[in-house]
Amino acid sequence: MKILIIEDEKSLSDNIAAYLRQEDYTCDTADNYWAAMEKIECYNYECILLDIGLPGGSGLSILKELRSNHKMDGVLMISAKNSLEDKISGLKLGADDYLAKPFHLSELSARVGAIIRRKNFDGSNNISFNEIMIDTLARTVLVNNKEVELTRKEYQLLLYFAGNKGRVISRNAIAEHLWGDDMDLADNFDFIYTHIKNLRKKMTHLGCGDYIQSVYGVGYKFSER
Amino acid sequence: MKLFTKYGRINFLAILSVLFAGSVCYYYIIRYVLIHQLDETLKVEEQEILDFVHKKNQLPEPSQYRDQTVFFTRTDEPVKRRFLSVRHHGHFRQIFFPVLADKMQYMAMVSKSQEESDDLIGLIVIITLGLMGLLFLVLYLVNRLVLRKLWRPFYQTLSSIKQFHLSSQRTIPDLNTDINEFQELGIAVQEMARKVLQDYDSVKNFADNASHEMQTPLAIINSRLDLMIQDQKLDERQMKQLQGIYDATGRLTKLNQSLLLLTKIDNNQFVNVKDISLDLLIKEKIFELDELIHAKHLQLSVNASPASVQMNEYLADILINNLMSNAIRHNLENGKIDIIICPGMLKISNTSDPLGFDGAGIFDRFQKNAQSQGIGLGLAIVKQISDNYHFIIDYSYFNDLHTFTLRF
Repeated sequence: MKILIIEDEKSLSDNIAAYLRQEDYTCDTADNYWAAMEKIECYNYECILLDIGLPGGSGLSILKELRSNHKMDGVLMISAKNSLEDKISGLKLGADDYLAKPFHLSELSARVGAIIRRKNFDGSNNISFNEIMIDTLARTVLVNNKEVELTRKEYQLLLYFAGNKGRVISRNAIAEHLWGDDMDLADNFDFIYTHIKNLRKKMTHLGCGDYIQSVYGVGYKFSER
Repeated sequence: MKLFTKYGRINFLAILSVLFAGSVCYYYIIRYVLIHQLDETLKVEEQEILDFVHKKNQLPEPSQYRDQTVFFTRTDEPVKRRFLSVRHHGHFRQIFFPVLADKMQYMAMVSKSQEESDDLIGLIVIITLGLMGLLFLVLYLVNRLVLRKLWRPFYQTLSSIKQFHLSSQRTIPDLNTDINEFQELGIAVQEMARKVLQDYDSVKNFADNASHEMQTPLAIINSRLDLMIQDQKLDERQMKQLQGIYDATGRLTKLNQSLLLLTKIDNNQFVNVKDISLDLLIKEKIFELDELIHAKHLQLSVNASPASVQMNEYLADILINNLMSNAIRHNLENGKIDIIICPGMLKISNTSDPLGFDGAGIFDRFQKNAQSQGIGLGLAIVKQISDNYHFIIDYSYFNDLHTFTLRF
């Protein structure tokens, strides 16, 4: 699956590309307006990461161009200006999602996954991992075809893990994903621990393998042992 | 004291002393002139008597008219010619002089009434006093009416300065006056206000730009960290160090976002206003923060009646979130939170240790207890939002309860 990263900060786009490649995405990069326009005209991408502030022109005009050509590539806008106006005008122009800098790569990866799923490029709204099957439309989780009752946060957590399979997600990224920006309470880490413990218990209870590993207290990794 | 009261007072004293001194001199000069005139008349009488005696060698008949008496006394002693004022059955001016008739020496006395002159002096005094009174009245009216009118541009400028507010971005209006001093003052004040606004804008833009420019480096640090922890060769010690960087970056990010938010509120960038039910919003927040409330075993009591307010939805959310987070974060284990909400008022109280600083500064930026985990901007944001909507936010500490009262 091909992804285009339009970002003028080379170091950031390299990091994003390196992270997404672990998910078996093919990543292309463009660091200015003209290079981006050229790539968009020549190829089709499953998802485009679009920075709004670019040398040579605004990311919003790239988005406009893209949609006026009836290209339905998924678009995740990235902006250093965490402003509602940018967000609203971007979403109005047909962006699929919006992410403000700074962000965690795990968050980005989960959102890219969600966009691709929604765009239905791989023909399914389901995520499966061994005996686990997540139906993202019905928001249900099946283990060995039996439904697991999960709380809202546990479901979000599992979905987040599934969007970052095989990679370590930091506790900070998890806290931000579950509680958002305006909750800046340090004791979140204890809640993460509790939620993960409960999630693990519910899954293994139905005979699911224990795929969540703690990595030295820094983060968690969802993968086969 | 007002300038023209002060000025009027000095003016009044100066005029009064000049007029007083002048009047005294005036009185004595007039009096001297009138007496001198009277003496001249007496001298004419004297001459007539002496002429009569010289011609006839005998004394004229003593006489007494209404205001003039002539009188002779036989005397052996030498008589000195002299003038005299006498108060006896009226006010008289008298002349005494020696007369020789029939080889006999007499002392002649001519007396004339001085009442007429006294009346004249009295009249002059009354007219002078009347003029003084009139002068003071006119001065007073000039001070009150004309000066007030003359100073109007000054008061206009003064009220413009008083109404001047940085965040309103309104400049000082032009002054309509033809008085040079006030024109100059008006122009100087306008120029100053323009400079202040300009400086304020550039400081604001600087804060805004600096915060925005920081986002990208922060994103790079975060993404680099996210990649680094994927490295399986790292050991626990190195991972712990990375966690330290994560936490610091997280704090920096929060700080930056809060500063940006403050700038945005300051810039009035949240314009969409709608009806917000604060009571429902509070209930939503309690649901969202449920885990935290339970973790500290806090006892929560909510007394809510419908209360709505016109404000931006996002800001309302931040306002309530920050107040609630504050009440939870700084609470004691097994403490309590009381929330009262009714139309026009929201009250959130929580148990906690006393503040380590003066309560008056609780809404200041970066004001916090040494052991606080926060970044010290939560309540500053609350204050900024309240100010923006002209709400009143108060803090009080009573009976071990920290209470925040919001009136909207």
